[in-house]
Parts: sequence; C-alpha cells; structure tokens
Amino acid sequence: MKARAIKAIIGKDLRETRREKMTIFWIFVFPLMWITLLGGIWGGHSPPITVDLGVVYFNETAAFTAQDVVNIMENVTMNNVHVFNIARYPNESSGVDAVRTGRIDALLVFPRGFGENVSSGLQARVYVYFDRSDPQNYQIVSGVIKGFFSEFEKEMSERKLNITLSYMEKYIPANLAGNFTIDDFRRYLIGLANPLELEEREVRGESPSAIQFYVTSFIGIQFLFATMLMIGSGTLEEIEHGTLRRIAASPATAWDFLAGKMLSTFIVITVSILIGIGYAKLVFGETVFPSALGWLMIFLAAVFSMSLGLAIAMGTRSIKATNAIVNLISMPLLFLAGIVIPASILPEWAKPIANYFPLGTALKSLRLLELYHRPASEILPSIAWVAGSAFGMLLIAVVLYNWAIKRLG
Amino acid sequence: MKALVIKKLKKSYGDFLALKGIDLEVEEGEVFALLGPNGAGKTTLIRILAEGLGYDSGEILVFGEPLTKGTARLIGYAPQESVAYDLLTVEENLHFYADLYDAPRERVRKLISEFSLPAKKKARELSGGFKRRLNLAIALLYEPRLLILDEPSAGLDVPSRRELWSLIRKLREEGRTILLATHYMEEAEALADRVAIINEGRIIAVGTPDELKSLAAEESVIHVEGILKGTELVREEFPRTIEREGVLRIGVEEAKTALPRVVELLVEAGSEIRTIRVEEPTLEDVFLKLTGRGLE
Ligand SMILES: Nc1ncnc2c1ncn2[C@@H]1O[C@H](COP(=O)(O)OP(=O)(O)O)[C@@H](O)[C@H]1O
Ligand SMILES: [Mg+2]
Repeated sequence: MKARAIKAIIGKDLRETRREKMTIFWIFVFPLMWITLLGGIWGGHSPPITVDLGVVYFNETAAFTAQDVVNIMENVTMNNVHVFNIARYPNESSGVDAVRTGRIDALLVFPRGFGENVSSGLQARVYVYFDRSDPQNYQIVSGVIKGFFSEFEKEMSERKLNITLSYMEKYIPANLAGNFTIDDFRRYLIGLANPLELEEREVRGESPSAIQFYVTSFIGIQFLFATMLMIGSGTLEEIEHGTLRRIAASPATAWDFLAGKMLSTFIVITVSILIGIGYAKLVFGETVFPSALGWLMIFLAAVFSMSLGLAIAMGTRSIKATNAIVNLISMPLLFLAGIVIPASILPEWAKPIANYFPLGTALKSLRLLELYHRPASEILPSIAWVAGSAFGMLLIAVVLYNWAIKRLG
Repeated sequence: MKALVIKKLKKSYGDFLALKGIDLEVEEGEVFALLGPNGAGKTTLIRILAEGLGYDSGEILVFGEPLTKGTARLIGYAPQESVAYDLLTVEENLHFYADLYDAPRERVRKLISEFSLPAKKKARELSGGFKRRLNLAIALLYEPRLLILDEPSAGLDVPSRRELWSLIRKLREEGRTILLATHYMEEAEALADRVAIINEGRIIAVGTPDELKSLAAEESVIHVEGILKGTELVREEFPRTIEREGVLRIGVEEAKTALPRVVELLVEAGSEIRTIRVEEPTLEDVFLKLTGRGLE
C-alpha cells in the first residue's frame, strides 16, 4: 500500500463528489429534508383525544336527571381540552344513524325513567352504541366513555354511601352493632362499593424525541443507500471509464484504489451524518452526538455497507443493476430492519431481521447507547456481531473485486 | 540495449487466441510502430505490456528486466481512451497521476507549458485533441524510458492529428523510445523508424518503412478518383484492389499493361474518372499484398 497514492485517490474522489450536483443533494440536502419532514410529522406531541358523542334523553323532573349527566360530560376536560363533543338527538334511531354514517363516534341513550331511578337510589341503565368498524378507534372511544362512567359510578356510590351512613348514625342504636363501630361500617362499605382503588403515579422514561429517532434513522439510511451506491457505482464507473485500468497500470495497486475509495466514501458519509446532527442541534435543539463507541459502531456498519455495495457491484458489473439491487434490498430493509420505524412495533417475523441484519443491529445498539444511555457492556455482543459480519462481507467483496479486476476490459 | 524484447507471446480470451506467438524487439531510442487493422491484437499486446494484463505464455523483458509491477515506472502509457476525470481540471488530473507514480509535482507545471494545456479547464470541456495531449502528458509525468501509445491520433481531425504528430516527433528528438500502435498507415510512415505489420494476432513483417515498401517493390499502384462504377469487375481481375471514399487503389505487377484495362473496365461500366495516376506503393499496399485486404 502506498500512502501517497491512497491520499491521491481520496482527494480525487472528494473533489469529484464536491462537483457532482446529485451527490450534493444526497449528502447535504437530503439529511435536512429527512429530519425536518419526519421529525416534523411525528415530532409534535400527540393531540389529546376527543370523542364526538351523541346523546338521547328525555325531559324529567327528578332531582338528578340525564340532563345533569350530559352537563357534567360537557365539562370534562383533559389538558384544557373538552373530551366530549356532545350532539343531542331527538330519538334513538336518528342517533344510531349518525353513528353508522360516522358523524359521531358513539351514542348514549338514557332511557325514560333514568333520573327517577338514580334519584331513588336504584340501579339505572344507560345504552351505548359504538361503531366497531375501526377497531383502533373503537378501543379509544369505548375506553374514554367507560372510563368516564366508572369514575362517575364511583362518585355516585360514594355519595350513596355517605347518605346510607348518615341514616345508620341516626337510626341504628349503638349497642346493636356489637363490637363494630360506625367507622368500621364505613370502611367496610367503601370496600364493598369500590373494592380496588387504582392510584396513578408518573415516571418519565428516557424516551428519545422524534427528532433524535430520525437523526439515527437518517444515519441508517445513509448506510443503506448512499454508502452502498457510492462505492458500487464509483468503482464501476472507474472500470467503465478505463481509469481503474490506468491506475492498475501505475505503481499503485488495485488495493490502494480500494482503500482510497472506501476511505473517501466513509469521509463523505461522515460529513453527511455530521450535517444531519448539526442541523438537528441548530434547528430543533436536539443533541445526538455519538460517543467513541457509537462512532466505532458507525464505522463498522459503514464497512459492512460498503462491502455489500462493492460485492453487488462486482457481482453484477453494471451500474444499473447495482442501483436496482441496492434499492430492492434497501426499501424493505428500511422498515424490516427497524431503521425508519422502531423495531418494537415490527411484526414478530420481522424482528429477527431487525436484530440480526448487521445494519439493523448496529442502529439498534446505536440507539440504545446514544438515546437510552445504556451501558457499553450491554451492546458489546452486538458490536462483536457487526464487526464479524463487516469483516466477512469485506472478504466476500474483496474476493469478487479481485475476480473483477482480473477480467477488466 | 534493447528497450523491449518479446518472445513467443501468446494470449487468449477464452477460446479465442488473440495473440498467436509474437516475437518483437524494440531498440532504445527508436520509434516503433505496430501497424494493423482493427482487431489485429495491438491493444491486447499493449495492455499486456502496460497494464499487467495476464498472458498465456511467452517472455517479456523491459530494459533487460522481466516485466513486473516493478517495471511499471519504466513505462509511460497513454491508452486509446482518455483517462482524465471529467470533473477535475487538467492540473488536478496531472497532480492525481503524479501522486500515483510518486512523481515530483514540478513535472506537472513543466508538462502543462510544454504541451500548452489549459491548466484550469475541466477535462470534460477539452476538445478531442487536448484530451489526447493530456493522456500523453500523464504518460510523461514520471520520465519513463519507454513510452507506449495506443492509437494516439485515432478519431482526431487532420489539424489536431498533425499537431499531435509534431509533439511525438519532438519526443523522439529528445531521445525517448516509443512504441505506438496504429491502424493509420500515414501515422506509421510519418513517425516510425521501424514498423511491424500485425494481422490476426501475428506479426507478418518488420522493417523500416522503406524496407517494407521494397517488399512490394515489383509492384505499382494505380490510383483512380471519380464517380466510379464497376469496381467489382476491377477487383475480379485485379484482386489487390481497395476502394475507400471514392478512391480506388489497385496493386498491379505492371502498370503499363494494367492501366488501359482498368480504364476500359471502369468506363464501360459508366464511371466518370476524374484523375488517374500510377504511384509508388505505400505501407497499406504492402499490407494488402501480404494479407489480401486493406487496413480499415
Ligand atoms: N477483453 C476481451 N475479451 C474478449 N475478446 C477480446 C477482448 N479484448 C479484445 N478482444 C478480441 O481480441 C482481438 C484483438 O483485439 P485488440 O487487441 O483490441 O485489437 P486492436 O487493438 O488491434 O484493434 C479482437 O478480435 C477482439 O475482439
Ligand atoms: Mg486497439
């Protein structure tokens, strides 16, 4: 290997890259677009849930009526947003029609006598119609409505309990209760009415922001596309143009060429990654700067990716076929290897791909390391796996490259 | 000392034998031309010498040393196609190749002025003639002792070709050894001290242009121009006939008897003859005599 020759090849490649308009797009504009678009789309906090709710009830003169329940519902807020948008319907059939045509998410029907029953302390019924055609929406809507009613029931039973207790205090003679005090009754009745009390406490997990997530997925994309294509088509172009033959005719060797090409590709990709990182920091104030171990992972992933690109190019010996194959394997991998969507939401059959396809492994460890701040020891097996497969792929690429340059021309 | 010695060199591409046993010696300081039609095997021979293309058998010595990667620096090489990077300037291209050969950077400036190259122009903006010059300059970066040029002027217009020839002549005056491959007989005649005629992977004659022409000495060439008809009749009677771009060249043993017969055949077929003359044979006529066909 000749240092001056390798340096010359790197310098030449970087100059060419700088003057090629398309690569400028991929290296400089694409990261900014990617982070802005995806971070922007998925970045905002998810909006609070609201439910469009139809109600049907009848005028009553009881102490507490369906009208009162509806008024309470209208005033329920979460983060200052009204949870229920209420529309009143004159009768059940027009309300059901509105559910069916999607104008409302659900319909509550308070039958005649509802207020009477509640006010007399008897059990009252409410009917609710859901549209179950969209299971996800159904889950949300039914959850919200059932949640409201379970809170509401609790409130009602507590009131009833207090009324009952006040009667007990007034009318039950103290000695009738034996060893039990009124307080014991109270506690027992509370347990009866509300056997389990769920208490909410909050923990803030180390969940990365959308921007941080998409900065790392952008790093993955550069490996999947840019690195593979750059080295593949770059080498093929030099074969087609006759320059690789001319370089091989000089005292420099095909190995100097390969080393120079890989280093220049790595430099270009690193610049692109730094631009993405810097942009996320400047514009969104989000910092993702890999540690030394993170950069090692990036380097290993780059070696894997470049070797794969080179192997494809040398196997096909055609720029068009290389582009097609790189796209063909990259498109599904973007998703299946958990690069643009989190591996946790992948279907079961795809999880092994995300875990073991080396670029998936690399990105997953990079995220664990940089976004979840896991200790280095946790990702050492992954580093070993990525390093091993990078080395293996490099060997394959080198064998194919050697085969290709022997039959140059 | 011999700049180049090649013995019994054979090279095949798959089943096809492209070089069928080449023997060749190039003296130091001479310009040696390989003259042959397309497909003769010139580029194959040159790529074995300059690019380290593998061969089947034979022996090659460069200034007495067996050909290896180590002799690469002795050989300056300008392939037929431009090896400049389109997006780099002339100067950047030269610097790149200077680095590959570990040549001093001052050579770049010197060659730019010697070859009147536009240093700051991108290679893709260069005309065909300047691209060839740049290829030649790249070959000279590291002061090679043997310069190998493949079809140095192919595809150039006549003025650019003449300029390139004068550059090559200057190099010869500097005492460089040059091996060039060409299918233009004018190029070989204009530049070469000695010529090897190569056809279908074999060298069929070697000598100075005059020696080679004397191979066809007993012969004369009838040169006819005009709107020609009935040329196939002429070829039937005089098999060493080539027709190119409205010019007919007929190799004959004795012009005195052949001339009236040629005119008769052409005129009867309805040709309008503009000029007709008898010429000395050229290298192409030698080739024709040896192989029975023209160079192109
Ligand atoms: N890489 C190759 N593979 C197969 N055949 C080749 C290859 N290169 C040249 N040839 C064949 O070898 C013969 C000699 O070609 P070449 O050396 O290029 O001739 P020239 O330079 O004299 O025109 C031709 O028939 C050509 O088709
Ligand atoms: Mg050729």
